[in-house]
Amino acid sequence: MSARENILARIRSANKTGKASDVIGGSAADRLTSSPLSPIPDLTGNVTDRFKQRCVDAASTLDEVHQMEDVPKAVSRYLTEKELPMSLVCWPEFKNLPWSESSIQFESRGAIGDDKVGVTGSYCAVAETGTLVLLSGQDHHATTSLLPETHIAVVRRDRILKTMEEAWQLMRSEVGLLPRQVAFISGPSRTADIEMTLVYGAHGPFRVHVILVDE
Amino acid sequence: MRVGLFVTCLADVMRPSIGLSTLDLLERAGCEVIFPENQTCCGQPAYNAGDRATAQKLARKVVSEFADVDYVVIPSGSCGGMIKAHFEDLFSDLSDYKTKAQWLSARTYELTDFLVNVVNADSFDTSFQGTVTYHDSCAGLRELGIKDQPRKLLRTLPHVELKEMSGAEQCCGFGGTFSVKYGDISSRIVDLKCDDLESTEADAVVLGDLGCMLNIEGKLRRRGNHKTKVLHIAEVLTGRNGEEAE
Amino acid sequence: MEITSQDFKAVSSAKLKDEKLQKALFQAKDGFVVSRAKVVKELDNFEAIRQAASDVRDHCLAHLDEYLEAWESRAQAAGTIVHWAESYEELNAIVVKIAQDNRVKKIIKSKSMVGEETGLNEYVEGHGIEVKETDLGEYIIQQAGEHPSHIIAPATHKSKEDVSELFAKKHDRPRLEDAEKLTHEAREILRPHFLDADMGITGANFMIAETGSTVIVTNEGNGRMTTTMPRVHVAISSIEKCIPTLDDFALMMRLLPRSATGQVISNYVSMTTGPKRKEDLDGPGEFHVIILDVGRTRVLGSELREALRCIRCGACMNHCPVYQNVGGHAYGWVYPGPIGSVLTPAYNGLENAIDLPNAATFCNQCGVVCPVKIPLPDLMRKLREKQYEKNLKSKTEKWSLKVWAYVATRPKIYSIVTRVMARAGKIVGGNSGRIRKMIFAGQDWTKHRDLPTPRGRTFRDIYLNSKKINKG
Repeated sequence: MSARENILARIRSANKTGKASDVIGGSAADRLTSSPLSPIPDLTGNVTDRFKQRCVDAASTLDEVHQMEDVPKAVSRYLTEKELPMSLVCWPEFKNLPWSESSIQFESRGAIGDDKVGVTGSYCAVAETGTLVLLSGQDHHATTSLLPETHIAVVRRDRILKTMEEAWQLMRSEVGLLPRQVAFISGPSRTADIEMTLVYGAHGPFRVHVILVDE
Repeated sequence: MRVGLFVTCLADVMRPSIGLSTLDLLERAGCEVIFPENQTCCGQPAYNAGDRATAQKLARKVVSEFADVDYVVIPSGSCGGMIKAHFEDLFSDLSDYKTKAQWLSARTYELTDFLVNVVNADSFDTSFQGTVTYHDSCAGLRELGIKDQPRKLLRTLPHVELKEMSGAEQCCGFGGTFSVKYGDISSRIVDLKCDDLESTEADAVVLGDLGCMLNIEGKLRRRGNHKTKVLHIAEVLTGRNGEEAE
Repeated sequence: MEITSQDFKAVSSAKLKDEKLQKALFQAKDGFVVSRAKVVKELDNFEAIRQAASDVRDHCLAHLDEYLEAWESRAQAAGTIVHWAESYEELNAIVVKIAQDNRVKKIIKSKSMVGEETGLNEYVEGHGIEVKETDLGEYIIQQAGEHPSHIIAPATHKSKEDVSELFAKKHDRPRLEDAEKLTHEAREILRPHFLDADMGITGANFMIAETGSTVIVTNEGNGRMTTTMPRVHVAISSIEKCIPTLDDFALMMRLLPRSATGQVISNYVSMTTGPKRKEDLDGPGEFHVIILDVGRTRVLGSELREALRCIRCGACMNHCPVYQNVGGHAYGWVYPGPIGSVLTPAYNGLENAIDLPNAATFCNQCGVVCPVKIPLPDLMRKLREKQYEKNLKSKTEKWSLKVWAYVATRPKIYSIVTRVMARAGKIVGGNSGRIRKMIFAGQDWTKHRDLPTPRGRTFRDIYLNSKKINKG
């Protein structure tokens, strides 16, 4: 018998003899199709306000614009303020924005080791924790939010959801089968492995800037 | 109301004033106190050592000795916890005793819980005065929910000021035989507890468990602190100093 | 990993005297305990969420075979290659075979505690393949040639000075003193490896049956790199990591980061479902998951079963007064603290870790913070019962227990013995009211503290006498 058969058989026999407790009950098949929700905390209040607050709590910075066309201006504001180079790579969905009008050099491609600034979109965002949700796939390079020192993420206001549960619900209805990777990003990379001292810029970006777009 | 007094083996041998004070407090509250003479130990040392058979024997003894009372009151969070939280587990395979254990468990109270929530005692005849700090014994706190009750009682005393220590809920390092089997670790834990309580500069540290008391008092004296009093809450409420033997 | 839990007593005593470690433990305790408390307070229904998580874990364990089968078929549908292993050796061999089949020369690793169990790094390096730990804490201890001392913060026992010295030596660079500069130096040193490694190995915080996914919960970004950059990705997991649905995962995520590091969510949550697809622009061409069962099914069928609910947050050890003072290495295996005191004997045999379940005060500071309500003191007590049954207790302990049992079940004898103890104890203490030195077991008490003396008479004696007086 294979390891697989042995292990599954041992599980079945352990559950017969062991004191298997199952307060929830129901079959596995049922739970997998119905996916019931568990209690969530009280999250009343404006979802966008909560998202903005949580982003800041997570050490991201935030800006707001009315329309997509204004994103380059917001990026330029940010890069200037932070004294960062005015050159970036971006996801293809942004390649037609008026970057040059804001004196920004851009390339629509994935990031490589030397790129300093990466601009991505997002599938949705979760207000409860100030989190960006990025899905892998066509035109969604994973490297853009990972390799550069600065990650700028564009989030549409109408894609801000209250909880992670709502994000799953949206994905189930819009996307169906999950893509290769679902990445939840909540601020700049960090570690406290040396004497519990919090340091930003571990292996991922040093800073995350979220641009909220109304349209 | 017939109240059975379970004095605990430790208090019986090491510090009878806890028993005497508990007796006074119960009588003052109008209880008819029954002291089953043959009581010995609740079985916790055996239970925690893994000797289930002995623990069951002792538990059965307790269950039958206290079968004819309305309440059982215990001046100890750990013995109280043993009876209230663990007897049922001990009898999980003996259905007859299991019911009796459940009956007993429902009627068993740690002293301060009984005083506050059953007899609503709010005035005491005590000469004790000074600043105190309270150590939450682990079993009392986490098995029986003893937290506010002793503090409520202390606040009724006109000449007593309560100062909370940092880490009041942190274990004192006694843990029964742990204190001798892993003495180095136990010693460090109780040293930290002594640091915390000394920082309050309270005249006395007040507790609800004699195990913790012996551990903390023993360490304080070894450290050269002969000033801070170590008192059981029952003693504070009746004005005893802990040394009484009559 | 080699087990040295039998040295617990000696090692823990030594650790108590290690000033550098004590300073590090104090800092860690403050950090983890305080930040967890703050962030848990924000959840107005924390207890309900915790109960739900405990129930979901129990339900999943009760149907574990079905959930694992569902996970496997969905994972395979997404192109994941699934392996099962029944021994540490088997898991290690599978990893090496995958590496060899793919001409892998260099592996980057994002931490895996299961990998610690199996001794993976050593085995793989023994086959001539380079393994680079990339989690900063794991990188530090890899450079130092040590094992992790905590499941979340593996280098928590190391001071900044230790790291300064280590990096200066290993990186051959001028010594840095600042935690931030040290972290950024590690970033710089490891970055090229992310870009040119052939294979990435990660653990798996959870396997999600609904979608056939594995997920890792990290903060540094190395987890994301490891699951995206190399051409092959291997995730190492064990059977109890499986949970039913994405919503069950959201539930766990409300508890795991809060309990572990006091964050409302970890910086990165990376959920992987299969290898690179044709529309993907990046990602590994091959994705393997290895599911281990060593000891898990035995525990599943035993009274220690609740231990399998564990979601590896580390809260129990962070709140344990024993761990807080001796650190993780004293426990002698992969998992320290209360959960380690249960899993180590459960997975390695009672006789190999006799001290661990005994080195506990049963304060239950662990149980009240466990996000899935594992009754840790109860499980440790069950292990003590097993030790008693199997005669693994010391003769002294067994003998003292027997004497105590004999006396306590005989009220007449008890009353005499206690009266003698009360009287004798007072005499020995003399005027000081304290006993400073005792023999036998008493030695271990009086080595560290005085014993307040008995008062000369037992309560029973006083009470019954006064009743006699009143009657008479």
